[in-house]
Formats: sequence, structure tokens, C-alpha cells
Amino acid sequence: MQKKADQKKTVLVVGGGVAGISAALDLAGNGHRVHLVERGHDLGGQVARLDKFYPTDHCAFCPLWTEIRRCKESEAIAVHTLARVESLEMREQGYRIAVVKSAPVVDPELCINCGRCEAACPKGVARPIWEHAYPPVYLIEGAHCGDCRSCVEVCPTKAIAFDREERPIELDADEVIWAAGFEEVSLEPLKEYGWGTHPDILTSLEFEAWKAEAGENRGKILRRSDRSVPRSILFVQCAGARDLRLLPHCSAVCCMHALKQAQWVKRRNPSIDCVILYTDLRAVGRDYYEYALRDFNGNGIRLVRGRSSLITPLPGGDGIAVKYEDTLAGTREIRRFDMVILNGNLRPSLASKPAPASRPELDGEGFVAPASVSCGFVMEPADVTESAIQAASAALRTITGKN
Amino acid sequence: MKKIGVFLCNCFGEIGRTVDLESIRKRLASDPSVGFVALRESLCMPGDAAEVRATLRERGVGRVLLGACSPYGRMETVRLGLAKEGVDMRKVRGADLREGCAWIHGKNPAGATRKAANQLDMELARLQNGQDSMDIDIRVRSEALVIGAGPAGLAAACGLAGMGIPVHLVDRGSAPGGLLNVVTKVYPTEVSGPAKIKSLVEMTGSSPLIRFYGKTKVASVKGYAGDFKVALAGPEGNTSLRAGAVVLATGARLLFPRGLYGYGKMKNVITQMEMERQFAAGNVACGNAVFIQCVGARCAERPYCSTICCPLSLKNAMRILDEAPGSTVTILHRDIMTPGSTLEAYYRKALHRGVRFVRFDAQRPPEIRGNGLVSGVEVFDVLSGVTRSIEADLLVLSTPLVADPESAALARMLEIPVDRHGFIAEVYPVHPVETRNDGVFICGTARWPASSDQAIAQGEAAAVKAASFLGKETVPALTMSRVPGTKLGHAEANAEACTGCGNCVAVCPYRACKLQRVGQRSVSRVIKVRCKACGSCMSVCPNGAMQIPEQNYRVTGAMIRRAFREVR
Repeated sequence: MQKKADQKKTVLVVGGGVAGISAALDLAGNGHRVHLVERGHDLGGQVARLDKFYPTDHCAFCPLWTEIRRCKESEAIAVHTLARVESLEMREQGYRIAVVKSAPVVDPELCINCGRCEAACPKGVARPIWEHAYPPVYLIEGAHCGDCRSCVEVCPTKAIAFDREERPIELDADEVIWAAGFEEVSLEPLKEYGWGTHPDILTSLEFEAWKAEAGENRGKILRRSDRSVPRSILFVQCAGARDLRLLPHCSAVCCMHALKQAQWVKRRNPSIDCVILYTDLRAVGRDYYEYALRDFNGNGIRLVRGRSSLITPLPGGDGIAVKYEDTLAGTREIRRFDMVILNGNLRPSLASKPAPASRPELDGEGFVAPASVSCGFVMEPADVTESAIQAASAALRTITGKN
Repeated sequence: MKKIGVFLCNCFGEIGRTVDLESIRKRLASDPSVGFVALRESLCMPGDAAEVRATLRERGVGRVLLGACSPYGRMETVRLGLAKEGVDMRKVRGADLREGCAWIHGKNPAGATRKAANQLDMELARLQNGQDSMDIDIRVRSEALVIGAGPAGLAAACGLAGMGIPVHLVDRGSAPGGLLNVVTKVYPTEVSGPAKIKSLVEMTGSSPLIRFYGKTKVASVKGYAGDFKVALAGPEGNTSLRAGAVVLATGARLLFPRGLYGYGKMKNVITQMEMERQFAAGNVACGNAVFIQCVGARCAERPYCSTICCPLSLKNAMRILDEAPGSTVTILHRDIMTPGSTLEAYYRKALHRGVRFVRFDAQRPPEIRGNGLVSGVEVFDVLSGVTRSIEADLLVLSTPLVADPESAALARMLEIPVDRHGFIAEVYPVHPVETRNDGVFICGTARWPASSDQAIAQGEAAAVKAASFLGKETVPALTMSRVPGTKLGHAEANAEACTGCGNCVAVCPYRACKLQRVGQRSVSRVIKVRCKACGSCMSVCPNGAMQIPEQNYRVTGAMIRRAFREVR
């Protein structure tokens, strides 16, 4: 049915999150072939792990699931999960890409999620990947594994094997689109955030999983230290971001992310006191500012402009002391919170890839330089909407060859 | 009618341990419409799909019922495997016997078996009573109409032309460029507006595939994806054309801040856009300039952030400092909206460059003083807690982008919704340039305030999505939907039973139901391409005239009856 016999390309898309999925689908929709390489167990990326997404407040996974299915159903898209790009070699025409398929102990193609390995494991190292992973499969890893192999014996589908080896594969592509997304940066170097010193000091992605409706607490808001209901939660914005010591950029998604989380805390337990410590309230997309306004107007979430100078567990471990300045009131405060959520420590994933052969040229902050085609967070901090737009735009630029 | 083949999965005991599959097999096998019932250890392991396919060929069954796990378990793996083996997925149904029966009712095997039997019965009822929607091929007009020739519209037009698709590019102005034509520097670069879109404008002029209609408006649009009938009103009268897709890129306007901060009364109070015009005329010197952000934005009347004003002010402030030595610029702001890495770096640059920033509280807005001309501004600096008095030779107001009423009129014509601010709504965040009316795409500031870079990216996005079906001669109506392959079918109106009450027209979220005159009567007609098979029309039709063949009344009735049937 194709009218024009124009040249069809094969495109490598690196990263199977929102940006990568969208780019792959738009390329396939226009008759091009795609290799979609994802290092995780399945498609969906960071967004699939979120409990909710803004500004619709819908579960993050469902709208993405349709897109994931479209990718898998498409004959034009070859999905390579558990795979990482080792090197790219520029050829006369296009690229030769060396990809390594990693060797999981549990093969997701075979795992039927029956849980017999979890029941059989004496050391507790077999567990579901995460509570709402799709497809739901088990993961066996950890230093505590006693090598008893009882899991191998009980597995009905022979999905478990400890002797699998990494497998190199080679792919040919005319173009590459980088859509590797973001990762969390350790806040260890910035001691004042107290990250790692107490179980109730979490990053926002840790908290998202901890509070998830499909997570281990079934949506209950609990302290991680003793599973009691917290009386107060502090959300600290720009933790590590807009900070020349760690990440100079603004991560763009954290203001809305914190507002969303605070609203969900309130929705599930209105008695919990929520405070957001912010620098600038960056709510720029459609309906975002109104989403934020819902909080100003009295459902009990307090927005305080300021930064914390010290976050430290109280002696005895019950609660966390936070020293901060309220820059609008001009007051310095020391307050006790039951939980502290750190928000902002996101950087483009490729920044941590050391081998230059395996990645495009990056700018000083680790974002993909304009010479290569990219979309999503590796190009510029972006949320779902922006990523999907950039992905389609990247698809067009690869098709027409005009970057 | 061909018989139904049933496959029951034991899932290595996960199902069979609780659910009595043998009794279920016997029950199903006694149903006259069932050709055979096969018990299998698994359905999702490598090689299973090929075996199932072989059995189907051998037994010659037409439809398939799977008793296995939940769609969020491995059912999709099973279905995908069968699809790859060439099985028509519209003839395959599945029932969840694992998560929903065996696992959750593990302590009550008899109950689990009853539930499993009922669920299989219901799906069987669907296969027995369901019909197939007619698959209609839509002939696609491989041409596009792009309305608006600003950066978004230009990017869309050039993108489409780059993929070989002829474009009709319409603008109410005489030349392409839109708002960018007056911008002498586009943030965060040193490039001028016309230079930024130079290659796009050149391509518009030179490409044989793009036809530009200046000083032209869209008078009417009728039709649907694949074939829109368009009437244009231009300087040389009316033109009619047909297009397979429409890209709406009509842009927005800047708020005219009449009555705010002395605007209109005092001569040295201007807007950022007027400042751009002054720059274009070569007039940069201004002495002490004071910028006020969020003028008429992020307030009760317009509770949104217009996105572009903060970086725009940073740009103009640095320009004044660079080109008119001795000037000062103070930006009175609320939050500085520079998300991301590029804009945040731009903000840092402005801080280093010596632009002064004073944060004010929306409850205590700045006050101007002066007679006839603004001479200064009083503002409470919330960060230092003092009231500042700032000398001002020029007051520049940053006003937000507001929706253009003409866009809203076009949206009505194209049957797509606008949001409460008048901007045109997309379908969903993961489908950011698609609209509720397939074949109509949106980009640029008509959609939501955006920078020129964002507008261009959106235009490119609209182009790539439109091209995905404009490149084909025909598209089956069933795959026209945004979610190819998963559309259930489409509604069909029975003209005999329809009384023309219009309930379906009122409820259809996709505007697929229309009333049509047939002789003396008015009857409903379904535009198949638009229909997403949501079933709303079926549920409000008092006469049973609206039906989705796959899920018609007989199907639903039979399924409900079977759901509560006693199972022995």
C-alpha cells in the first residue's frame, strides 16, 4: 500500500522509556525498521515505575502499557531488552553496533511468576522485580545467595540458570536516536542532605515506590524505619540540582513530582502534615499551575520557599531534624519531620557511561550534544509530554536526514 | 459457522492445582458450538504458539477461546505469539483462570472452579454471538492542510514535504513567519527570528510540494481523517481543496495589558513585544529599565504560566546591558521559570551579567509612581524583607500568551475540544499533538504556550504522525485509530430502528454519530473512521439501533446470563 518507494531506514533507538517507545512507534508508523535497545527487563523506563503521573493523576502504567504492546506487536520494531550498547562503529553507510545481551539468572521469557523460587529460597534473595512490573517476573540476585540451587530445582519452566553467559549481538543501523533517559545521582557528596543516614530520608523515586498503590504497602503512607504512620513529611526540592557542586541544571520534573506526591499523601491520609521546601515553583505545562494551585488553596500542603542547610536524624532515630530558612518570611527554622523526601537528583543516563565508543558526544553537564539525534531526558530534562514531542521530532529528523 | 476451539492452560499446576480443569473440559466439550477442548501444560513457552496454530489448522476451527492467565500476567505473551503465527486476533478471546481464580481463591477449589467455568462461559457467549465489524478501507488523500505559518506550521509543512507529501500552507498574514518575524534575537541564542526559520521559509518558497496561501482564512472544513473537504477564503476568492490530514498551528496572542501598571496611560510603559519592535528599529538605549513578570498571568483570571516570558525577559535584559552600556535592568519576578539545563544556564548567565532580580509576592504587587511618565517602582522585596524604591526610565511588562479566538472557532469547525483557557487540547500526555478527531493534529502556541524551539519540535511531531497514514493510499478504518490493532470494531446504526432522537450524537465523545435526513426522517449515521467503539451510543439508544457488532446486545445479554448461571 506504500505509495512512494522511498528509502526505508533502519534506526537504532537506545532506551525503551517514554521517549524511546514513542520514537520507535513513529518510525515504524512511517515504514522504517527499528532496533529498540533497553537495558532493563522490559519497556517503560522510569515512568512505568511511577505510581501516578501528573497532571492527570492517573496510574502511570496503563497509558504506557498500550504503547508497550504496540511496540511488541509491531513487525517493524525489534525489541532487545536486557541489552546494552557496547560500541558504535561508523561505517561508510550507517553504523555497526555491538550490543551485549546480559544474562539474568531468571529468564523473563520463561518466568511465569509462580513464586516457587521465592518460597524455596532459604536466603530470601528471590523476589519479584518490583511490585507492578510488567510482565511480572522474578529476580534472583544478591550477595546473600547461598548457592543452594533449590530455586533451580523447583522452577517448573527451567527459567532459572546460574551459568548463563552474556551474549554479544551485532546490529546494523542507518541512524541512531539516543533516548536513554535519566538516572538518580547519589547525594552522598552533599552531606547536609543526610542521604543514607536514616531510612526515613528517601529520594523521591524511592518514596514513589514505597508509597505505590501496587507496592508493598498497598498505598499506605508509612515511615520506612518502623512502619508507623508519619505525622509530617518534608519534601526538599532542588536536592543536588541547581547546585554547582553536583548538578547545575534544573531537573524540570521535580516540582510537579513533589506536588503530586504531597497531594497523594494528603488524599490517602489527610492528617499528615506536608511541607514542600522549594526554590522556584516551576509548573509550566498545560494545567500544571492549576494542579499546583490546588495546594495553595488550603488542602494543608504548605509551600515554603527556601533551602535546607542541614538534615540529620534525631538522636535515638525517631524523626529527623531539619534546619532551613524560610526566605519569604525571613525566618530560620529548626523543625522535626517524620520523613524527608529529597527531590531533584536526576541526571541524563549517558553521563555515567565512561566508554566514549558506546555513547554520543556529550555536553559539559552530560546531555547529548546537538550533533547527535536525541530525545527525552538525555537531551534536556523533560517530562512525559515533552519527551513524547521530542521523540516524534527526532523521528522526523532521522527520516528526513535533517538534524 | 465454524466451531470454536478451546485451549485450557494448566500453567505447570498453577491453575490445575486449584481449578478442576478436567470437569471444565467436559462441560465445554458438551457445548455444540465447541469443536474441541485441549488441555495444555502451558501456552506461553517457546514453541507453544506454533503447536496451537498446528492444532487449529488440523481441526479447522474458526474461533479460539483461551483459558489461561490475566492480561497483566502472560496472556499478552500468548496472544502475541499466536499473532506472530498468523492467527487473526479478532477471533481469539481469553479468560483469566490463574490470577482471578486459582490464585486468589486458592483455599476454595470448588468456588475457583465455578468462577473459572463462568468466566469461560461468558467468553464463549461472546464468541458465539459476536459478529465482525465490516472492515472498510479509507482512501487517503495524500495531501495535508497546515493552518498557520509560524514556526510550528512551517516545521510541520516542511516536515511533510520532506517526506514527499504535498502541503497546502495557509496563513492569514501575507508572509510566513508568524510572531518570530518581529523577534531580533531568539533565546537562548544570538540568532534572529527570521534567521532561525530562514531555511524553513526558503523551503516553503522553493519546494514544489508546498503551496503557500497568504492572506487566506479557512472558511470551512468537513469530512474526516483521510479525506477532509476544505474551503479557503483568500484574496482571489474562494478555493476548495481536499486533504487527508489537517495540522492546526494558528498560534496565540500576547495579552494586551490595558489598565495594568499604567499601560496605555503612561508612554514609557510598554510590553515585551513592543520592546522587541523597538530593538528591531535599532532602539536599545533605555536608561534604567524595570521589567515586571507575570502581568496578567498566574492570577485568578489566567491561572497558568505562559512559559516563555521569563527566558524572554532574561534575553532582553542581557541585550540592554550588552548594547547600551550604562543602563540597568531590574526584573521584578515571582518564580523564575527556567526549567531544564539550557534555560537554567541562561538564568545563571543573566545573574552573572548583572541583571538585578527582585522577587515580589503576588499579594503585594509592585506600585508605580510618576505623573504622565513612570519614574519609579516601589516593590516589597520578599527575599530581603524590605521595600525597595527603584528608579525607572522604562517599564516593560511581561504578558502571557493567550488563546486566539480564531483558533477556538477553527477547533469547533474541526470538532476538537479546547481547554478552559481556550488552548486546543491534546488527547493525552503520551499523545501530545494528536486530537480527539483522528487526522487533525495540533502544534505550537495554539496548543499551549511554547518557545520557538518547542513549537518547531511540535510541528515536526505533527508532521511525522500525519505522514504515518498520509503515505499510504488506503488505510483500514479499523486501524485508523491511534491504537492500531486493538480497536474493538465500530458502531453501526440501524436506520430501521432509529427514531432520530439524537442521544447518540449528544454522548459520542468522538463526534462520530451524526443525524442525517433520509426522506422524511432524521436518522443516525456513524462515521466509522472516527468511532473508537467506546459503546456510549449503545448505552443511551432507547431503541437498540446502535450496535457494535463485536459487543452487541445479544453478546452482552448472553454474557450476563452466563455469568450468573449455576455451574454443576
